[in-house]
Amino acid sequence: MGSFALQRVLQTILVVLAAALVSFALFRYVGDPVNNMVGQAATLAQREAMRRALGLNDPVVLQFLRFLRDALAGDLGVSYRFGVPVGRLILERLPATLELSLCAMAIATALGIPLGVWTALHRRSAASHVLMILSLIGVALPTFLVGIVLILIFSVWLGWLPSFGRGATVAFGGWTTGLLTFGGLKALILPSLTLGLFQMTLILRLVRAEMLEVLRTDYIKFARARGLTGWAVNYRHALKNTLVPVITVIGLQFGNIFAFSIIVETVFQWPGLGLLVIQSIQFADVPLLAAYLVMVALAFALLNLAVDLAYAAIDPRIRAGMLARGRA
Amino acid sequence: MSVATKLRDWWDSDLVHDFRRSPVAIVALAVTVMLFVLALGANVIAPYNVMDPASANVIDARLPPGSSGMAGETYLLGTDPQGRDMLSTVIFGLRTSLYVGGLSVLIAAAVGVILGLVAGYLGGWLDALIMRVADIQLSFPAILVALLIDGVSRTVMNRAAHDALATTVLILAIAASFWVQYARSVRSLVLVERDKDYVAAARIIGISPFAIIWRHIRPNVIGPVLVIAAINLALAILTEATLSFLGVGVPPTTPSLGSLVRVGNEFLFSGDWWISVIPGAVLVALSLAVNLLGDWLRDALNPRLSS
Repeated sequence: MGSFALQRVLQTILVVLAAALVSFALFRYVGDPVNNMVGQAATLAQREAMRRALGLNDPVVLQFLRFLRDALAGDLGVSYRFGVPVGRLILERLPATLELSLCAMAIATALGIPLGVWTALHRRSAASHVLMILSLIGVALPTFLVGIVLILIFSVWLGWLPSFGRGATVAFGGWTTGLLTFGGLKALILPSLTLGLFQMTLILRLVRAEMLEVLRTDYIKFARARGLTGWAVNYRHALKNTLVPVITVIGLQFGNIFAFSIIVETVFQWPGLGLLVIQSIQFADVPLLAAYLVMVALAFALLNLAVDLAYAAIDPRIRAGMLARGRA
Repeated sequence: MSVATKLRDWWDSDLVHDFRRSPVAIVALAVTVMLFVLALGANVIAPYNVMDPASANVIDARLPPGSSGMAGETYLLGTDPQGRDMLSTVIFGLRTSLYVGGLSVLIAAAVGVILGLVAGYLGGWLDALIMRVADIQLSFPAILVALLIDGVSRTVMNRAAHDALATTVLILAIAASFWVQYARSVRSLVLVERDKDYVAAARIIGISPFAIIWRHIRPNVIGPVLVIAAINLALAILTEATLSFLGVGVPPTTPSLGSLVRVGNEFLFSGDWWISVIPGAVLVALSLAVNLLGDWLRDALNPRLSS
């Protein structure tokens, strides 16, 4: 366990360092930082003084180490577009993205698990076939199109729900939430449905497949033979045993939710991180993009590290397998 | 077992039996073929050549489906904000989408197969390096990888250089986000093949490792690659459409299904639904049909992969 954990931690550090290197290269070599700061009118002497003050004449390795130190201290530079420290900008936008992602996951789970169970139990019914076909279509539907169609129906034609923004939000210190106002909740419905739809179809199919598998096992037959009610067999015995892989997948899907939130935020002009990064790409806001890169790498590397370590702690076979793969 | 009986077994197998009885799979094939023909024959089939700037006609802008233009043109599917025939823009957009999707799948497959062959046959530090990178990349969603590669290269290049290269960058970004699957599955197949007698025999008679990899092992591991490529095509098309929709894909002047939806999105609130919904519907039809075909192909050719 020790060497496995060490190996995984080292790999995580390596990934984050690689992302930091790319981010540093972007920062340092895209455009001239001095030009960006002093403007066109500066004299050569002023520029040189600025270069020295910024440490741009130092060896590159030293500059990279300084970049790392600043990044660790939370100083990720100043956005070209907003003129505000990038770290602050990201922290401001984070609550909106997290709220959207969590709501989407909640919707996906709350709908996906019951529907999955139902389609497994009523495998031959017409409704179940229709659901499976719909879930197949759901996989092929691009997220942005789902959003547009929902906007067209519920905002443009019916006029029931807002099509953009977060509505009214309430601030708690640095955290803003839309969950406490009616407008905020209304604004959350369409984006979280859009984001959750794909995950819902995934969970539905997974729960269905797992349920079908479990329902064939001997202990289910035995439970039936013991004369337990259908409800007890299906929910207390079968469903419980399908939930372990389902919970794992839900955990792993957070990475995907995060990626797809970029799309949903663009469609609904949701003021979160995803919209911020798309705009920073379009405006060539290098510091923001660089900081985002490091942040994403760190978040994903930590998520995967946590998952791997948790797995290894639970199941020794995985530990052995991963080590073998790592050494191969 | 003779070829004929094998073929018969295959024909009678559950999956093929299902397929023959499944209108869904047959319709999927028909739709895919139809869309490919439309895209390939865009120049001949499309009523108007929308790639020609002269085809824009502001007077006829945003006409609903079935309208007639000022000069008596008929617009079966209406017109876009520049007064171009929607049917034609969608056909040309389809061509771009298939071109970008298809080429990125080809590149991803080529790179992935080569890396998988090399990693599996040679082993050692090269194998460890390639597979580590693959592992790490697999922990990030493909669309995020494509978006970040595309976004970073946009920032690195100046605007003029980028507009000229946008489509190439997009293709490479999508390819870079999909190579891992090929590399991993080819490598695992090579690990099995390389210990077989025919490889040992080739080695003994002094054939170079690269000739063994390419001429002896590759033909035996290429089957599953086709299946992965078929399934990936739908994904690559969706990725192109998504990135173009986000405004970081093909240049604004090129119609693709994604960029057409993006343009139409701006007119959604004026009630001009067809500008975004029609290219969107074609995109869904394409992705659904290719997806279903890919799934079917996977199950039919190689049941081992379906787990």
